[in-house]
Amino acid sequence: MNAIEIRNLTKNFGPKQAVNGLNMTVPEGAIYGFIGENGSGKSTTEKIICGLIHENGGTVKLYGRPHTDVDIRTCMGVLIEAPGCFPGLSVWNNMMIQAANLRIENAEQEVVKVLKTVRMEGAAGNKYKNCSLGMKQRIGIAMALLGNPKLLVLDEPINGLDADGMRIMREVLTDITKLGATVIISSHVLGELEKTATHYGIIKGGKMIAEMTAAELEVSCRTFIALQARDMSRAKFLLNSKFSRVEEDEAGYLRVYDEVKTEAVVKHLYDNGIVVTEIKTDKIGLEEYYIDLMKEAKKND
Amino acid sequence: MTKEMKFESPSFAQRIKSMLGVDFYRLFHTPLFYIFLAIAAIIPVMVSGMTTMTDPNGQTIELYTNAWQIISAEDSLYVIRGIADYANMNMVFIFGGIMVSIFIGHDYKSGYVKQLFTTHAKKQDYMISKSLTCAFAMACMCIMYLLGGIAGGLFAGYDFSVNVGSLVIAILGKIIMSLGWASLFTFLNIIFRRYFGISVASSFFFGTGILIIGVAAIIESLNLPTYVLNLFLYGSSVNACLTSNVGTLIVCTLVSASWALIYNLVGTHILNKSDVY
Repeated sequence: MNAIEIRNLTKNFGPKQAVNGLNMTVPEGAIYGFIGENGSGKSTTEKIICGLIHENGGTVKLYGRPHTDVDIRTCMGVLIEAPGCFPGLSVWNNMMIQAANLRIENAEQEVVKVLKTVRMEGAAGNKYKNCSLGMKQRIGIAMALLGNPKLLVLDEPINGLDADGMRIMREVLTDITKLGATVIISSHVLGELEKTATHYGIIKGGKMIAEMTAAELEVSCRTFIALQARDMSRAKFLLNSKFSRVEEDEAGYLRVYDEVKTEAVVKHLYDNGIVVTEIKTDKIGLEEYYIDLMKEAKKND
Repeated sequence: MTKEMKFESPSFAQRIKSMLGVDFYRLFHTPLFYIFLAIAAIIPVMVSGMTTMTDPNGQTIELYTNAWQIISAEDSLYVIRGIADYANMNMVFIFGGIMVSIFIGHDYKSGYVKQLFTTHAKKQDYMISKSLTCAFAMACMCIMYLLGGIAGGLFAGYDFSVNVGSLVIAILGKIIMSLGWASLFTFLNIIFRRYFGISVASSFFFGTGILIIGVAAIIESLNLPTYVLNLFLYGSSVNACLTSNVGTLIVCTLVSASWALIYNLVGTHILNKSDVY
């Protein structure tokens, strides 16, 4: 069974169409990376899934049931944008309030457990308003984890997290999916998302432009040859004259994206008096794949 | 083989119990509640204090002849002819409105509603819980006003003789009216939930009862019966006066409960039809 199944979803805010015929399938047990530019409709879609806003058209099913069925929310954990906490109350009290809303038995033990999970047990007595952005995000994650949710909806949860926070986040996602939970997570930190996601959905202009598993992404990601030479500018000129796509990356490597053998590239440069000092083959990551896809979509627009 | 997911379906009683628990917890842990209790107690003392002052002609301002007039007028005075006609326990519903606006406004400003409505909480539970919690807060303010009124009466040296039965009914009537008023203010805050300033202003406007006072003036000038005004929250609140009887209490109960029901039903409908956050 799919945890989330969305068909032809539309949502307008006045004349602006935020979601435009979106289709989405999130299998049970997946960590679904939901990617898109700012204003592409990610948060709107997630808010519809959680029942915070109403769709104008289409269907949203959670575990085969309409998302409007509030009973489903007994098994949902949500972090949309920032956690909804009262600034004047302590972290502990805010957590206890959410535990009460979820009608969790042994609330105190459960709150201690989730605060420990996000390494925030030491800050339980702090007033929420005195917490840093990263701490607030951890509290939001802890709140979403209350009650052992079967479906976790996280909107930009990595924002403001330090390296340790990101590692914790990875552990949390992995652990929770081991217990059979499903996670939908939107983020702009694609390198981080790539480390945990099992499925991806890429949204642009309110439409899903690609949906794939991590394995499919691996296949889709092109390989390239990266090299460094003594005379980089001449090497670039020579490579451009023979191959269709040559780019220089941030690390200063020349990348040849054509499907050619490494030997052919080295030979071409050597024949023209250029010595290659380093050469390797690699695959583009999610970030580059995403950027390529966006460029392609822009062209098609 | 696919495993069927089972979902918990908490009953209305279970849901409302947890929501009321949270709302009362918040109420008792917010300084706002205690500030408004203090305001409710101070206002009658200050009003009584005014009566010990002298005007520019050297004459003492005589607002009241009896201490209990600080709590409620002698008769159902729908039309205001002086500050004494207005300055009584009904003022609690003005401050109460502002308190409710701030209390509910915090829910939206902090994003708490977003957190709440992603659980199994229903919109009707929210309306009911907020109405009951705020009604309780306003009832507490009425009691504080009563204590402040007694202190003010002692301070100003007023006569305390009264028909005890009518006084108790008047106080009970106003406390009962808190439910209707709290529901109105909750409703107003649901409508203007995205505009905090308008929420406060609208609660203040309706809390003053200015609409009913205006209508009462027209009705009186046309020599029409004013008791129809008791169908409204402000009218019934005024009707709970020092000449009240059991009938007044019944009217207050019916009017308060009816408006509470109407505001809760319409408020729930609006919440169901609109985006939460």
